[in-house]
Amino acid sequence: MADVLDELEGGSSTLTRGDLLKRGGAAAFAVSMFGALPDKALGFYGPLKYQNKQLSGELKILQWAHFVPSYDQWLDNTYVKEWGEKNDVEVKIDHINNALLVATASSEVAAQSGHDLFWFISPPSSFQKQVVPLNDIVQEVTRKLGPMAKVAKKSTYSPKTKTFYGFPDDYAPDPVQYRRSYLQEAGVSLRTWEDLRKGAAKLKQIGHPVGLGMSNEIDSNMLLSSLLYCYGGFIQDEENRVVIGQGANRKGAIEALEVMRDIYRNGMSDEVFAWTAASNNQAFLAGRLSVALNAISIARSAENSGNTALSDDTWLASIPRGPVMRLGNEHVMGVFVIWKFAKNKEAAKKYLVDQQLGYREHFIRSQYYNFPAWTGAIKGGFKTIREMTAQDTHKPKGKYTILTTIAEKYTTNPGHPGNTTPVIDEIFQTWMIPQMFAEVAQGKSSPADAVKSFNRKAQGIYRKWKNQGLV
Amino acid sequence: MEAHAASRRKPGTRRWRRALEDRRVLAPLLIAPAVIFILLVVGVPFGWAIYLSLTDSIGGSLKGNWVGFDNFTNAWADDNFRKAFRNTLIFTLASQAIVLVGAAVLSHYLMSDFRGKWFIRLLIIMPWAAPVALGTLGWLWIFDSLFSVINWTLGHGLGVVDSSDPPQWLGRPNLALLSVIVVHAWRILPFAVIIFLAGLASIPSEVDDAAKIDGATGIKKLLYVTLPLQLPIALVALLFGIVFTAADFTVVYVLTQGGPFNSTQMLTTWSFQIGINSGSLGEGAAISLYLFPLLAAVTVAMLFFAKRAQVS
Amino acid sequence: MAGRVTAARRSLPTYLVLGPFAILLAFPFYWMLVTMFKEDLDLYNAENVPYVYNPIQWKFWESATTKHVEFLFTDTHYPDWLVNTAIVGIAVVVITLIVALPAGYALARLSGSWGQTAGIGIFLVYLIPPTLLFLPLSPLVARLGLQNSLLSLILVYPSFTIPFSTWLLMGFFKTIPQELEDAALVDGCSRLKALTRIVFPISLPGILTVVIFAFSLCVNEFIYAFTFISSTENRTISSGVPNELIRGDVFFWQSLMAATLIPSIVLALLYNTFLDRFIKGFTGGAFR
Repeated sequence: MADVLDELEGGSSTLTRGDLLKRGGAAAFAVSMFGALPDKALGFYGPLKYQNKQLSGELKILQWAHFVPSYDQWLDNTYVKEWGEKNDVEVKIDHINNALLVATASSEVAAQSGHDLFWFISPPSSFQKQVVPLNDIVQEVTRKLGPMAKVAKKSTYSPKTKTFYGFPDDYAPDPVQYRRSYLQEAGVSLRTWEDLRKGAAKLKQIGHPVGLGMSNEIDSNMLLSSLLYCYGGFIQDEENRVVIGQGANRKGAIEALEVMRDIYRNGMSDEVFAWTAASNNQAFLAGRLSVALNAISIARSAENSGNTALSDDTWLASIPRGPVMRLGNEHVMGVFVIWKFAKNKEAAKKYLVDQQLGYREHFIRSQYYNFPAWTGAIKGGFKTIREMTAQDTHKPKGKYTILTTIAEKYTTNPGHPGNTTPVIDEIFQTWMIPQMFAEVAQGKSSPADAVKSFNRKAQGIYRKWKNQGLV
Repeated sequence: MEAHAASRRKPGTRRWRRALEDRRVLAPLLIAPAVIFILLVVGVPFGWAIYLSLTDSIGGSLKGNWVGFDNFTNAWADDNFRKAFRNTLIFTLASQAIVLVGAAVLSHYLMSDFRGKWFIRLLIIMPWAAPVALGTLGWLWIFDSLFSVINWTLGHGLGVVDSSDPPQWLGRPNLALLSVIVVHAWRILPFAVIIFLAGLASIPSEVDDAAKIDGATGIKKLLYVTLPLQLPIALVALLFGIVFTAADFTVVYVLTQGGPFNSTQMLTTWSFQIGINSGSLGEGAAISLYLFPLLAAVTVAMLFFAKRAQVS
Repeated sequence: MAGRVTAARRSLPTYLVLGPFAILLAFPFYWMLVTMFKEDLDLYNAENVPYVYNPIQWKFWESATTKHVEFLFTDTHYPDWLVNTAIVGIAVVVITLIVALPAGYALARLSGSWGQTAGIGIFLVYLIPPTLLFLPLSPLVARLGLQNSLLSLILVYPSFTIPFSTWLLMGFFKTIPQELEDAALVDGCSRLKALTRIVFPISLPGILTVVIFAFSLCVNEFIYAFTFISSTENRTISSGVPNELIRGDVFFWQSLMAATLIPSIVLALLYNTFLDRFIKGFTGGAFR
């Protein structure tokens, strides 16, 4: 006690520990506000410069982290720098994980500030009211390159408002990737879904089950809704009304559910309910799976891994045929939007047009992952694309040409035959389709009940978005 | 006393200093920065969120048309929502029960000195030290559908499961529920242990001595002396554990994405799927707000109970 | 010699209880340690014993590798994220202390009965999940020009560190005997002076606890970190690691494990060290 009093007697000029703490804190705060920290603390991108020349404009782009890292490296370090120099604009491009694109977009909309160009992995229909209509540049590109791919139009055009709310940039076809040796050994064909349903048991017997996911992730969403098309179980009609609970659609959906249940019971293991987007890749690359449905990331990863036994045995095919049709979804539909609050709309528009006009380079650099939304961007259209893909040197030679067939004939947008509306968007985002299939496969619900409950929910979602005037 | 002090100061500052001495002035002054900050950074956005839940706002837009309580009733009608609500309760109560028991036991034994104590304590603290998103990614790998080390050990190592069709820790609903509860408990346990240790350190030594005299050691001491005295601190740890678990988004989002087939959704993750990813912002806000009365009721009940159980 | 044996025997139940718990809790980290040095071909082979490094075909000298850890430090912005996380953590801890110390004191000493009610009010702040708040907070962040800047996090994080810290400090201050302050007041010290010269230094253990908890809350936060900052070099580890090391459908597992293990070990060491000091510094009755 005495020493405490002594300290007090010592006068007010001595700093105590408490004082020091406070002052140190204030100083640290001041430094972090104004001082030693470089640009990153203040969110600037540095002075606008390119090769010692001041650039007069700035363009901020955000898109996903491409699964082919070399594409992003080329894009960031070569393409945008050259474009920026040519157009007197400093381009800053950010990449984020595709899972959080929508959350980041929502944050920018709420803040009414952010990037000029925003890329989405699927049509951003719920943001229609926040973006600038892009009919003008769509027309300009169409004049130069011809019409855009059907899948692109359905994904970016709103028939209700008659505007293009997004600019389609690229799409990725969704091929089947399979192990030829295993399929041959088991004597299974992938021509129709019935073939696969019959052969699944044999594949599992030889220790190489089928890998069609029913989990809360993008691969499952895409493949299961494609399965529904093949059996005629359409969720929407051309007028974008929800019709899965009626007539032929209902019958088709029930059949599709039964097919998947059989394939699971005979030819798959429980793993398919626990998958992330990477799981089918990993299981295939580990030599376990015989069949998977995925963009070409599996085949490309096999090639990059150096395991030639695996990659030479990995063949591509189109989606199996169902009794009604052979049709699949795009795996990725890259759509750019220009926000209403974008600061440099002119540069943004020019960037989009220029990129599409020169898409040949992007197609090659992405190792054929990104197909251009305007097929005419590659002179000669699908014919030239087929020749290009045929030149890929990986064995078996010519295996990527099927991609062209798939892109040309068997690729459509989610919500076929309608557009990709906010209704479809919500159905996809809340994993309703994998949920329906998984519940039937695990025996928790009968196909008829599952379709009925799905329809009821979907109708509710439809009413909600209709009231918004977006459907 | 005051006069003596006052005579040392300049007259002009006397009134100011006297005011500062008055606890009615000083108290609010000291609390003001905290309150103002919280009101601005939490209160205003919260008010806005309540407003959003009563509108049909979409796509990140912070404006919408008035719909009253429709969002709340529509949410309740969806069985995925009801599952999310139930799961929030299950995850929280189950994981915190594990945490409470574990922390009580661990802290009791960590009080005494023994060789290797610092190292063992380090191991126990590690789950809390890992940033939750990254630690959960570690668990995602441990539970992986194909490469799970647990399944390898059970299958190839011990031979108790079929290696070609092992248990899917994230693929079957009941296993997935269990996995989420385990990860929640794993990361909160060190936090609770630290709080319990603080409480134990505060038990005056007279109580310790009295216990020793009465012959209460080991388990007996744990049950009859330590646990009752720890009750207030246990309630604190439980309260924060409940709050940190029920309002957590990252664990379920990273581990299961709400799967399999939406059976592990929580209110936080479901509101994110609906409000952000699907663009139905008003609905998402409403779903989130269901959390508030739930936790508020628990909080008030526990604090009331805590006051009554306070050991004098 | 005999003393050591009996001491060990007395500790036996301790080891029997603590041992399994410690192993269970730390196992994931051991697993991260093993995984981060594995070659791809070794890791992605489900038949391999996962606990050891298996030779790939005949190239047995390539069993374990540091290339994934190197990748983390040379080809990603991981070092930037570590620095950013530290900056945000320290700044937020400082702000928290500046605001929570006076508030905690006021609630403990000066507020009488409504201090208890305030205690309850403090918890209510945590019942509002960040998944709901990040959108209304975005315009605030944007209007202050803090989009894509660490300052946005430094501004927002105290909102969840201050309430808990205030509550903790309230408890600590209550244990400091009133007589200490009264003695100071008798000697002509103003309340403020008594506060800074006597109370705060003695409550160092409480301050250290606040530092630990506030820092850990900052490092853990995910949603704000992800949505307020979109340029990779400005990110913290909580958002940078999942963003860069998970590309589309490829997880860079080995680098992910390394990225998690490094900060976990560092933080656990820090916390463990502070923990000793704050427990030793207790002087009877912290939470009454």
